[in-house]
Amino acid sequence: MSNRAGAYGASSGNDTSFRKTWDRDEYAAKAASRDKKLQEEGKARHEAKLAGKKYIRRASTPPDARETEARKARLNVADQVGKTQLVPAGATQGKRGKGAGFYCDACDLTYKDNLQFVEHLNSKQHLVNTGETGEVRRSTLEEVEERFEWLKRKRQDEKAREVVDLGSRIEVAREVEEREREEKRRKRNEKRRKTKDGVGVQEVQVENDGVIC
Amino acid sequence: MAHQADARRHLDERGYTGPLIHNDNPLKLFEKAVRDRVVDSYYWKEQCFGLNAATLLDRAVELTCIGGTFGVGQRPTPFLCLAFKLLQITPEREIIEFYLGKAGEEFKYLRLLAAFYVRLTYEKGEDVYTTLEPLLADFRKIRRRTREGWSLTHVDEFVDDLLQKSRLNPRTFLEDEGIIEPRESALGEELEELDGEGSEGGGNAESDKTSGDGDGSMDGDVDPRNGDRASSREATPEAAARSDESMAGD
Repeated sequence: MSNRAGAYGASSGNDTSFRKTWDRDEYAAKAASRDKKLQEEGKARHEAKLAGKKYIRRASTPPDARETEARKARLNVADQVGKTQLVPAGATQGKRGKGAGFYCDACDLTYKDNLQFVEHLNSKQHLVNTGETGEVRRSTLEEVEERFEWLKRKRQDEKAREVVDLGSRIEVAREVEEREREEKRRKRNEKRRKTKDGVGVQEVQVENDGVIC
Repeated sequence: MAHQADARRHLDERGYTGPLIHNDNPLKLFEKAVRDRVVDSYYWKEQCFGLNAATLLDRAVELTCIGGTFGVGQRPTPFLCLAFKLLQITPEREIIEFYLGKAGEEFKYLRLLAAFYVRLTYEKGEDVYTTLEPLLADFRKIRRRTREGWSLTHVDEFVDDLLQKSRLNPRTFLEDEGIIEPRESALGEELEELDGEGSEGGGNAESDKTSGDGDGSMDGDVDPRNGDRASSREATPEAAARSDESMAGD
């Protein structure tokens, strides 16, 4: 009776297939693990009390948190020098939001000087927001040896590139300059492609460029 | 196994549970004033954050001087900051020996950093002597940043200072106790010859002058004292007296 379809292809009125079905085993396992966790916590609480201490439950580390690593390069505090940017009117108060200064994307905070900024980058708040644990892996002797070999090779390469002959120095400088120019061109083209119709960014010419006559 | 990226928890007085050196928190081997200056410095915050024994090499190869604090503000040198970081990391003994040995051959300031660390942390005097004495054969020049200005020293001079000017058990005492063997000089048998000539020259200087090979023995006496620094290391009282004013504690 319940399996009879309706006249227009709808399923019958008392069909309950739309209801959520429950995986009983899964939930039984979940309940068991929760019980076990509670029991362990109770035990720890009891032991702490016996030892005369206060039990403080530690927030669990997210499973995808990665270990903190050393900075790969020096913090570039000069990259905004010579650039112009629009700053919201209320940006001068507090450090919340984007304003003039060193801006942290992950935490949405702005700092006025590099010392405060680097302190923020090292802070727990920032590490949590970027998904780091604040712990660094201990390295083994093999890793140290590997790193040493790499550094040694790097230094040798740099030394080999170092030349005293004027002609070849000019040649090297020209190559470097050419590479930089190529990089700039590539960036400009990329920017142009991003704008509508590929017209590029219009340079705004201001008369009397900030000079008060 | 992991350690903290910065020293905040390490410096917390409440319930320290890290590795111990001399039965105490290794970071306390630095005086409180120096500790605070290191932790406040920009180099520490920017460059020393999240280092481990392998990435510390990156910073150590960029060192250009040794020294304690400098300037009116008594800012810590990178050398001091990295030594502090080493104390926090407390690497295994093999890693320190690698810093001193193979890696130290290539990068001299890394070797000095490790030597300084060894002197601070190795708990047995005989270990310090046996680990650092091979470095006395390293004569490379190094720059030293003083309170105001710079000075020039050498790797062996620095290591000798580490061994001589500190509250380490004197080597002669350890030898008398039978804990370590007398030191084998890098000069080997040559040293005994020099010593023989030296005592001869010192004792009967006047009679030697008249004899035929007196000039030769005098030359042999003067040369090593001025030119060859390795031999002057053997004459420990002289070396200690000479280098007294060059090293000031950190």
